[in-house]
Amino acid sequence: MPREAEPSLNEKQFVIQALQENLRLDGRELDQYRPLELTFGDQYGVADVTLGNTRILAKATAEVTVPYADRPLDGIFTIATELSPMTSPAFEVNRPTETEVLLSRLLEKTVRRSGALDTESLCLVAGQKCWSVRVDVHALSHDGNLTDAACLAVVAALRHFRKPDTSMEGGRLTVYTPAEREPVPLSWLHSPFCVTWSFFGDEGELAVLDATWLEEQVRVGSCTISLNKHGEICQIAKLGGTPVDAVALLQCTNVALTKVKEFSDLVDQKLAEDLKRRDKGGFMAELRAENDR
Amino acid sequence: MTATTAPEAALGVLPRSDGSAKYSHAGYTVTASVNGPIEAQRRDEHAYEAHVDVVVRPAAGVGGTRERHLESLLQSSLSQLILVKNFPRSLIQIVLQVEDSPENDYVNTKLVQASLNLAIMPALVQTAVLALLSAGVPMRATATATAIAIARQDGAQRIIVDPSPREIETGRSVHVLAFTSHGGLLLAESEGDFTVREWDEVYETARAICCRSAPAKDGMAMLLDDEATGGPDMRHFLRSTMESKVVADLHWK
Amino acid sequence: MATAERSVVLPGETIDPSLIPSDPKKALRLGPGLRHIPPTDIVPTVAGQLVTNPVKNSMWIEYNSNRYIPSQNDIVLAQVLRSATDFYLCSLSPHTAPATLPHLAFESATKKTRPILSPGQLVYARVALANRHMDPELECVSASTGKADGLGPITGPGCAFDVSLGFARRLLMARSREDGGVGVLEMLGGEEGGGLAFETAVGRNGKVWVGSESARTVVLVGRALQETDRRGLGIEGQRRLVKKLVKEMR
Repeated sequence: MPREAEPSLNEKQFVIQALQENLRLDGRELDQYRPLELTFGDQYGVADVTLGNTRILAKATAEVTVPYADRPLDGIFTIATELSPMTSPAFEVNRPTETEVLLSRLLEKTVRRSGALDTESLCLVAGQKCWSVRVDVHALSHDGNLTDAACLAVVAALRHFRKPDTSMEGGRLTVYTPAEREPVPLSWLHSPFCVTWSFFGDEGELAVLDATWLEEQVRVGSCTISLNKHGEICQIAKLGGTPVDAVALLQCTNVALTKVKEFSDLVDQKLAEDLKRRDKGGFMAELRAENDR
Repeated sequence: MTATTAPEAALGVLPRSDGSAKYSHAGYTVTASVNGPIEAQRRDEHAYEAHVDVVVRPAAGVGGTRERHLESLLQSSLSQLILVKNFPRSLIQIVLQVEDSPENDYVNTKLVQASLNLAIMPALVQTAVLALLSAGVPMRATATATAIAIARQDGAQRIIVDPSPREIETGRSVHVLAFTSHGGLLLAESEGDFTVREWDEVYETARAICCRSAPAKDGMAMLLDDEATGGPDMRHFLRSTMESKVVADLHWK
Repeated sequence: MATAERSVVLPGETIDPSLIPSDPKKALRLGPGLRHIPPTDIVPTVAGQLVTNPVKNSMWIEYNSNRYIPSQNDIVLAQVLRSATDFYLCSLSPHTAPATLPHLAFESATKKTRPILSPGQLVYARVALANRHMDPELECVSASTGKADGLGPITGPGCAFDVSLGFARRLLMARSREDGGVGVLEMLGGEEGGGLAFETAVGRNGKVWVGSESARTVVLVGRALQETDRRGLGIEGQRRLVKKLVKEMR
């Protein structure tokens, strides 16, 4: 079983010592994120998020299936998170590690359970046919804070995604191919984002945002807050670690809101840019299609 | 979709792995990471050579039989290229992540596809070779690969280089060939109905694409360039990509 | 122009025989990235630039990579994993087989006076033995003189930073500014950096330890090194970087 390499004693001690002097190894402020980049693929529903040296690719897909028997009116929505040896040689295919399980649960709680995607709108024929929307999260490079980057990638991919258009005529369901009808966006209700705080020091008194992998290996605890830009909190996860002062945690939540607003603006802006880029071809193509008829 | 675009590549795209490459051509985009030589697990350990581990991950869905098949093809080809004897008891791990594959606009894709997807093979081979070069893993030679389909159109057979999914669907056979930089045939996989004569023709076309040597640009190569089936010059592409990497790495020299 | 005479080679390519140095007296020495296929073929195994030295009758391939492959007499920065019966197991790079460092391979070490190293401790050591079929062996003492020559456990405040192997090699060159094109350390300690006080230990395995009483200095030096490496800065670029960082970190 390959194991993740531990940082050396010298590094561990230094990271803590530097943080106590408000210093981080990459020169950031304690509450500053690394440069965040978001790009979309040529296909619908592909989002590539780079956060410093961390890189996540999310891809959304949809297919028609049979709904679950106990939820005949709901579509199916799954988020698949699998960390491959590409993320780090310490991960193996088909052998989930703790990191992977925690990451997929957090995404599940943040995006799926918070009702970001209207699953009822995915239903086509009650109890018989529905859309199954699936997001695959690929962690290409892991330098800490996979959660925040992955959540942003999932939300961006789903908002960018278009599923094939359908119609019902006399009880017959038709699914149109992209060549026949322009695909349609998902019914999206709100965009939740994760903000992860890492705590350092004997009593967790030092709170740091967007920890790198080295910092993550040294921290004494972490807390992930998921919320949308309206300040509606979807979940707060503090899984073990050193106890943290309640008032400090409230302060963390407030800062998280400002970060989420930034993320929200970034996704909106990038989506608008992408739409503009696509529309050039799309509009012309439509004109041509008109002429053909 | 535009299938006849020039190949594009970027090296060292993943800062945390030993070597990495992103390659896009003919609608396929693949990112690869290479780590190694690292410590092999007991079960993968060979006493005299390095174990080459290839993982192919689809863009959507979980990897299945199809990916395992591609992995086994790649594994045997790449083990021929890498100087595995240099690193006994170790592991060279190559992970190929498919990011994008061309879509057939006339069919709604199913997530789970059991059928073999040969057309992605050249992109996988090319990305893996680039990532290995970027990692500085000692190799015997480099390799180039291409996909070719044979379609029958109006009674006449036609050879299509880098076929689109639509062309594969309507065509009669698909072939994937890879050649080493010494001109040896490294990999040949075919699917569909074809005659020996057709295969010979495919072989010649693929060889022209993969093994065109850069200095012989005038005579023979020019003739091939003019042909409709010409396709991109893969070897030249590989070389120029690596040259720019080396120049950037050794800027201080 | 330097680029014109650059001879970039790819694995398996034929090397122009005129480039191979042919000193009739000395044996031809092959460096990294080349292999000899008897009887006469010399073939590159990596992508890089072919470099020849007619004086020493040697040739090698200059390239950059990230994964360290141990080679005898390299100076490395190793990390102790744990102690075994009479040696320490050390890691030279993540996920590779551990190297051994005998308990007695330190300056004037005896069974009673040997240094006790705890897991995670960094050690500056020399590769005493590197063989593809065996795990590498390290030493912190020169076998001929019995002196440490600066090798040994690294103590004191400081931090290790990862750099590429090519950059580590350039830092270790005797005249790193002239031959390797790195002047960033000199600048930090000199005029541009305002005379920062720090010490470094560069390992061929792509690790640089920076030590200083001031954490600010360590961070500054570490960032300067990593950015110079990552962005491939020339001397002038390094000067600008150092000035920028010094201003920023004030």
